[in-house]
Amino acid sequence: MLDKLEKIREEGFQCIADATDRDKLEAVRKELTGKKSALQEVLKSLGSLDPDMRKTVGMKANEVKNLFAERLQARQEELIAGASAVEGEIDLTLPGIEVSEGALHPITQMCYDLNDAFRSLGFEIYSEDDISSEKYAFDNLNFAADHPARASMDTYWLEGTEDKGGSERLCLRPHLTGGSVRYLLEHGAPARFVYPGRVYRNETTDARHERAFFQYEALIVDKDVSFSSGRVMIETILEKVFGRKVNVRMREGFFPFTEPGYEIDMECLLCGGKGCKACNYAGWIEVMPGGVIHPNVLRAANLDPDEWTGFYTNIGLDRLVMMRYGVDDVRLFHSADLRFLKQFR
Amino acid sequence: MNISLKLLKKYVDLPEDLTYDQIAYDLTMRTVEVEDVINTADKFHDIVVGEIKEVKAHPNADALRVCIVDVGEEELKQIVCGGSNLTAGHKVCVSKPGAEVVWHGEGEPVLIKETKLRGVPSYGMICGATEVFLADLYPPADEREIVDFTELGVECKAGQSVAEVAGLDDIVLEVDNKSLSNRPDLWGHLGVARELAAIYKVPLKEETPCLPQGLPAYDVVIEEPERCPRYTATKIENVHVKESPAWMKTIITDCGMRPINALVDITNYVMMAVGQPMHAFDSSHVEGEKIVVRNAKPGETLQLLDGKELDLNEHTLMICDCKEPMGLAGIKGGMKDSILDDTTSVLLEVADFTAPGIRRTEREFDEKTDSGMRYEKGIDTQRVDLGLDLALRLFKEIYPECSITAFSDVNPIKTEKAAIDITQEFLDRRLGEVIAREEIEDILGRLGYEVEFENGVYHCKAPTWRSTGDVSIHDDILGDIARLIGYEYFEKRPLTVNFEHSVNQVKADLSRKMREYLAFRCGMNEIFTYPWIDEKYITAAGTDTDKSVRLATPPAPELGILRSSLIPGMLESIEKNARYFDEFAMFEAAQAFEKGSYSPSSEDEVLPVHKNLISGTFAGKDAKTLFYKVKGVVEGMGAHCHFEPFTFKQKEKPSWADEKVWLNIMEGGKIAGSIGLISVQALTASGIKMMSAAAFEIDMDAIKPYPSRTNEFKHLPQYPLVEQDLSLLVDESVKWGDIREAIKFMVKDLKFVEEYRGKQIPAGKKSIMLSLKIGNDDSTMTSKQIEKKMNGIIKVLGNKCGAQLR
Repeated sequence: MLDKLEKIREEGFQCIADATDRDKLEAVRKELTGKKSALQEVLKSLGSLDPDMRKTVGMKANEVKNLFAERLQARQEELIAGASAVEGEIDLTLPGIEVSEGALHPITQMCYDLNDAFRSLGFEIYSEDDISSEKYAFDNLNFAADHPARASMDTYWLEGTEDKGGSERLCLRPHLTGGSVRYLLEHGAPARFVYPGRVYRNETTDARHERAFFQYEALIVDKDVSFSSGRVMIETILEKVFGRKVNVRMREGFFPFTEPGYEIDMECLLCGGKGCKACNYAGWIEVMPGGVIHPNVLRAANLDPDEWTGFYTNIGLDRLVMMRYGVDDVRLFHSADLRFLKQFR
Repeated sequence: MNISLKLLKKYVDLPEDLTYDQIAYDLTMRTVEVEDVINTADKFHDIVVGEIKEVKAHPNADALRVCIVDVGEEELKQIVCGGSNLTAGHKVCVSKPGAEVVWHGEGEPVLIKETKLRGVPSYGMICGATEVFLADLYPPADEREIVDFTELGVECKAGQSVAEVAGLDDIVLEVDNKSLSNRPDLWGHLGVARELAAIYKVPLKEETPCLPQGLPAYDVVIEEPERCPRYTATKIENVHVKESPAWMKTIITDCGMRPINALVDITNYVMMAVGQPMHAFDSSHVEGEKIVVRNAKPGETLQLLDGKELDLNEHTLMICDCKEPMGLAGIKGGMKDSILDDTTSVLLEVADFTAPGIRRTEREFDEKTDSGMRYEKGIDTQRVDLGLDLALRLFKEIYPECSITAFSDVNPIKTEKAAIDITQEFLDRRLGEVIAREEIEDILGRLGYEVEFENGVYHCKAPTWRSTGDVSIHDDILGDIARLIGYEYFEKRPLTVNFEHSVNQVKADLSRKMREYLAFRCGMNEIFTYPWIDEKYITAAGTDTDKSVRLATPPAPELGILRSSLIPGMLESIEKNARYFDEFAMFEAAQAFEKGSYSPSSEDEVLPVHKNLISGTFAGKDAKTLFYKVKGVVEGMGAHCHFEPFTFKQKEKPSWADEKVWLNIMEGGKIAGSIGLISVQALTASGIKMMSAAAFEIDMDAIKPYPSRTNEFKHLPQYPLVEQDLSLLVDESVKWGDIREAIKFMVKDLKFVEEYRGKQIPAGKKSIMLSLKIGNDDSTMTSKQIEKKMNGIIKVLGNKCGAQLR
């Protein structure tokens, strides 16, 4: 009987070792410890043995049973540790299942990056409507009465209003600046706000010129802001957009709605200011005009220019996006061409 | 405008250690943008004076000569040349290997190499004037003539750089004209010299002008003093057409103009030097020895030099003789009075014309000239003195034999110095820094201001050359001080942070949430299209154009209508992308316009109605799937973008939609937009083939966003819910909406799974599979309770919807 048990044990161990997966091991478990197993047969037959023998065989049988349990457990852990959820071969170089491909327009992406930066400085986001009038687009902004931008060669006037003047002559806005007076009339001062949007110019298009393009303008109006604050603001914003410190410089510039006005250059990011093809070997790239708000513009917004001052910055979004990604044709932005747009996530 | 350093140096002595790049930088930072710095000698590298020692015949070519030339090096060089005027002992122009010359004066420059010509080695090239950029300076008689310095009487020695010999070693600063638009004083070298003198604190070399005196008067009548505040006429006799001296031609060339003849060149040179335009008439063509500055009479015309004839009107200011108009005042002369080869006396006009009239005439006749460009910026009447003085000195230098025989100076209006007060307190506050009084007075003084300080106030008088509109308010003076100190000098001051109110803009946020939802959750690509739409797509979408807003001068004839819906632009975009993609999804958020009245800022301004629309489309093969995709997108919008979810009804079919498959999007009982399949007709008319598309368009202004996220929390069920699937057989006429309404109060959750029609389903019927959850609030459901509840549900479905279990 003991020999038989030893044989059962030996064969059982072999079966356990031979089980190559968890299903097979489960079958082995049934075979070795189930009701119809050889071991059970032995246990069942204990009654027919003499007492001494019964005790010896019983102990041995229990020992085998425990050994089986141990071995099964150990083998199971072994198998789990080495198990895979996938049977058979799998090609890990196959591409993964694509996620949804949607994306915001790269201009919108840039605009939202800027919004986040300006919001963090406590700016409000405002938007003026696309159609404006000569009064808001030019008169309020201190443009001379015969300024060339007022001509239909430059600005898209609406049919039926093109020969009128002031608030009755309507146009697709040629710049965003008119919105500043609208906001100030509505909200008063002090104020700090941004007003991104699309502007329209009647011009011949090519890779660098568009009839519809995007600007991003910011204005601060307060009692005593010095214009050197403008530079800090711009550095902060560009750092946010490009993810690293960007040196800027302010130099003399002229715009009807500012006094003084300045051009703001940023250090060329491609060459780090050393001079390269992208910056025409200047080391600097003109990114935005800006300046102290002109007293006549404040008057148009019913604000006293002796009490209030402030400064503008106007960022050309198209140009900034072109610089960010190396896009070489501004017309792509309005192309609705998904082959282009799908590149920007 | 090109600034020649040679001309500049006549007006200012710049510090010796100053580099050209530094000058360009300082001008850019403080005054005007210098776009490029060009050394005019650069293109003359390896082009030197050579002395011909010997001229021999060429063994293999009759037209060529073999010259032995001294080019200032140890060895003499042999050069083969075909020039017609090769003379031993004469000094000529030699291009050495490495030089770049323009072959026969045409095409791109060619690199010179040592070579063999017809078997004879040749070191370099003896050049004609057109080949080495000297044609303006030394015009050749014929194509084969080479530059002969000896013949021209030019002092030089072998090996000397030709740029130096010809005086073409200038530095030219290219200034962006746009940055000069508000500074009439900078349209001449004197003005730029004054800025540099102020920047570097060096003296300006300015001579006091001196006008002719004691001469017979020339008859001048100004009928329009507002438009012509000053007119001087000087008659100069005993002159003739000849070439200008080399130094003058060089400077005119460096300034970007072409030398013509000495009479014309003097006027151009003076304009470049002091910024005062002038005009020389052939005085023998001025009838009646009289100049009248008057507006044209109806019917009068002016013939230009190029043959063009202008129809004048009563707003056109003209320079006339006693009979007829001779020139557009301040812009251009006519054919009648032009300087011709037989001119022997000139009438020199040095005058002032005011900017608005000049701009009007320029616009009206589309005539832009160097003269007009200066007048249109506004020139002070005093500048006439500088221009006239310099011009007369040049006449005397170039035509020593000439005589001034008549002169008049009519000056009804003088430019007044702008008087402006600026307080120390204003300066301190706006500059953010206290600048000492001495420094302020010094800066303003150097710029030509007269300043008196009294009780904290600077009483300033701007110079006349800044008083024609440029400097008019104290902010202008602040600007002058700031830029001369340099913007980079001022300490950077961060903005103050304001904690008084939080920025909470639900409307602005809504637009962003919607776009991000469509892009990131719904897998759509954002596009931008133009507001002017090709009429083809407007017609395709069936949009009513009665209320459309139109452009007066559209980009193209078919692009005159401004959009009143985003759908036509969507059609165009589908058509474009269908070439490259089988299925795609796009959206656009933009404004659309309709006739009406809308006053956003003030009552006097009445604009068309603006609609803030957002529209999207799914394009692909299976129309039904596309429709449900769009519907899903719009259904989910409210929950994800934080406003009350939309409901749907069929009320008004949008013009672009399919006959059957469309719904209005409802918000608060009103139509806020529509969804639907795009009609086959609209697709066809747009040229979209083999593709279906579903679209939505929503008026963003109809949406009322929640003030913040308002997701509700529901307790998790304490007792398990039971999930059951039902497969129902119903009539085709029964809608999912009916089923949902019938049992939604009996269940904890209800989901549509699928709709099925097929072999096993009888005609006129369809199978609907749904999944629902039931449960008790206070205990686990027993199997009896489940059975009872399910039977109840099935009974209700049977009664209300005629549904049978499959």
